[in-house]
Amino acid sequence: MPWEYNGDDNRGGGSQPPDLEDIIKKLKQKFGGKFPTKLPGGIGIVLLLILIGWLATGFYIVGPDEQGVVQRFGKVVYTTTSGPHWHMPTPVETVIKPRVTQVKRLEIGFRTISQAAPARYQKIPHESLMLTGDENIVDAQFIVQYRIKDPVNYLFKVVDQGKTVHDAAEASMREIIGKSVIDEVLTGGKFKIQQEVKALLQEILDRYEAGIVVVAVQLQDVHPPKAVIEAFKDVASAKENKIKLINESQGYQNDILPKAKGKATEMINQAMASKSEMINIAQGDAARFLSNLRGYQQAPSVTRKRMYLETMEKVLAKVDKIIIDQKVKQNLLPLLPIDPLRLKERPAR
Amino acid sequence: MKNMSMRLIVIAGVIIIMVILSTLFQVDQRQQALILQLGKPVRVITEPGLNFKVPLLQQVIFFDRRLLVYDAAPAEIVTSDKKNLVVDNYAKWRIVDPLKFYQTVKNVAGAQSRLDDIIYSEFRVELGKETLNDIVAKVRTKIMKTVTMNSNEAAADYGIEVVDVRVKRADLPVENERHVFSRMQAERQRQAKKYRSEGEEEAIKIRSKAEKERTILLAEAYRKSQEVRGEGEQKAIAIYAKAFQQDEDFYNFFRSLQAYKKALADKSTLVLGSGNEFFRFMNKAD
Repeated sequence: MPWEYNGDDNRGGGSQPPDLEDIIKKLKQKFGGKFPTKLPGGIGIVLLLILIGWLATGFYIVGPDEQGVVQRFGKVVYTTTSGPHWHMPTPVETVIKPRVTQVKRLEIGFRTISQAAPARYQKIPHESLMLTGDENIVDAQFIVQYRIKDPVNYLFKVVDQGKTVHDAAEASMREIIGKSVIDEVLTGGKFKIQQEVKALLQEILDRYEAGIVVVAVQLQDVHPPKAVIEAFKDVASAKENKIKLINESQGYQNDILPKAKGKATEMINQAMASKSEMINIAQGDAARFLSNLRGYQQAPSVTRKRMYLETMEKVLAKVDKIIIDQKVKQNLLPLLPIDPLRLKERPAR
Repeated sequence: MKNMSMRLIVIAGVIIIMVILSTLFQVDQRQQALILQLGKPVRVITEPGLNFKVPLLQQVIFFDRRLLVYDAAPAEIVTSDKKNLVVDNYAKWRIVDPLKFYQTVKNVAGAQSRLDDIIYSEFRVELGKETLNDIVAKVRTKIMKTVTMNSNEAAADYGIEVVDVRVKRADLPVENERHVFSRMQAERQRQAKKYRSEGEEEAIKIRSKAEKERTILLAEAYRKSQEVRGEGEQKAIAIYAKAFQQDEDFYNFFRSLQAYKKALADKSTLVLGSGNEFFRFMNKAD
């Protein structure tokens, strides 16, 4: 029945039989003076031992990770910290020792099947698929870590603490994802989403007085749903493709521009060389001419004749010559060229 | 005589203890209790601790004092823009009036079926006012608050306080999901296409810019080289002119002679008349 203890985290607790307060009273009465005279010594000692044994059951040790919560007749009366303690024995007082330092972990959207490497997980799509604010669907898996903040509230204020956190965490995550757009969820917005979910979850749990503090909300795998993951991957490869195309064109640029620069410099250098050549040739020619001129001016007529003859001498020495007498020249002319065979031997230069 | 009285005392003691024990009961921190006397409710105990009742006549019924959870089955609800939304919600509630609770719904199972009716209808009313997108992105918190408030009012008759109604999941039905997926796919394809053609655009820009720069570079180099050559030629012309002007006649003579030397290469055939100046003395030696 739901309203009975489910004994989940309530170690050491549990129902007691109708209590025996009056037994104590009775015993106290008996020990108070009348006892030794009325009862035989043997029974008295037995009763005393039973009493001591019973009182001894009240000793308990609270571990370093625990806190003790003592209930007297079902009502919480005080809490104790680590170390040895004594409570009035059952059924008067009982103690529950929740582990307050332990961080509990909840998996939402997936469950770990085996932790041994390689760890295996099982997906829980109905927990992980959620709508984003721009009406897309993402597959988000996350974990929640929490621990006990207030052991009394934790133990006595809500039923099924684990499910409470689980439900509230799912609701919070969807509420926050519902306010975000898909690209934000898939890329840079994760940290912000975690913070917001954590804050919202804490707020909800505080409203329930669950006695729980949320240590962390961490998104694990967040990706597009299976049905569309290929399309998302294609976007990524298109991005790569874009970068590749740009790189290639930059490579082309890096190839042709330096070559063109080299060629340009070559052209200019050649022109400069050519300029220098022409000027020097001109200066040389001019100098030679001027020298000749100076020599010539000293005896123009003789020099002129000499130069003419020298030149002709050189020229005519090298060429084939046909010399025709002035008188026969007119008649001969139609017969030229004289030796076609010889002309054929020498291709035109 | 002494033994008899001892025995009597012990028997009486045991009987007294048993009677007292049966009058006592304990209410745990997690519980509250309702005491019925022959079926008639006479007392409500909301605080934990030790309590008394009349044995045999009175009966104790315990109720949970903690926050209980009601987890509804997912229900399909139509939004104001005629879209279907599968809403999975849970509610946190507690029993605040055990007597009323016992009289109206008797136990938790009964309460949950009432809560089911109340919360579902509240949700249908509130979600029906909003569009799907607003529900998912904007007014979720407001809706949850309103539903909590209204459900709490309605549940008061049953001795129940509804502390929080929360939408755990608000998802599309499977067939709509498929539409969303194909839309998402189309959107991504559009993006991928954009990236690819952006890449081509960039590449063409870079290539053509490079080619433009190359052409300009070479053209400029050509211009400059021609300028330099022109300067050289101009200077050479000036130098020649300056030198040759000094005696134009001699230049003609001098340059012609040079040209003969160069132009009349080996094995040219020269037809000469004997009247040529060169042969002046061949004919008559005067």
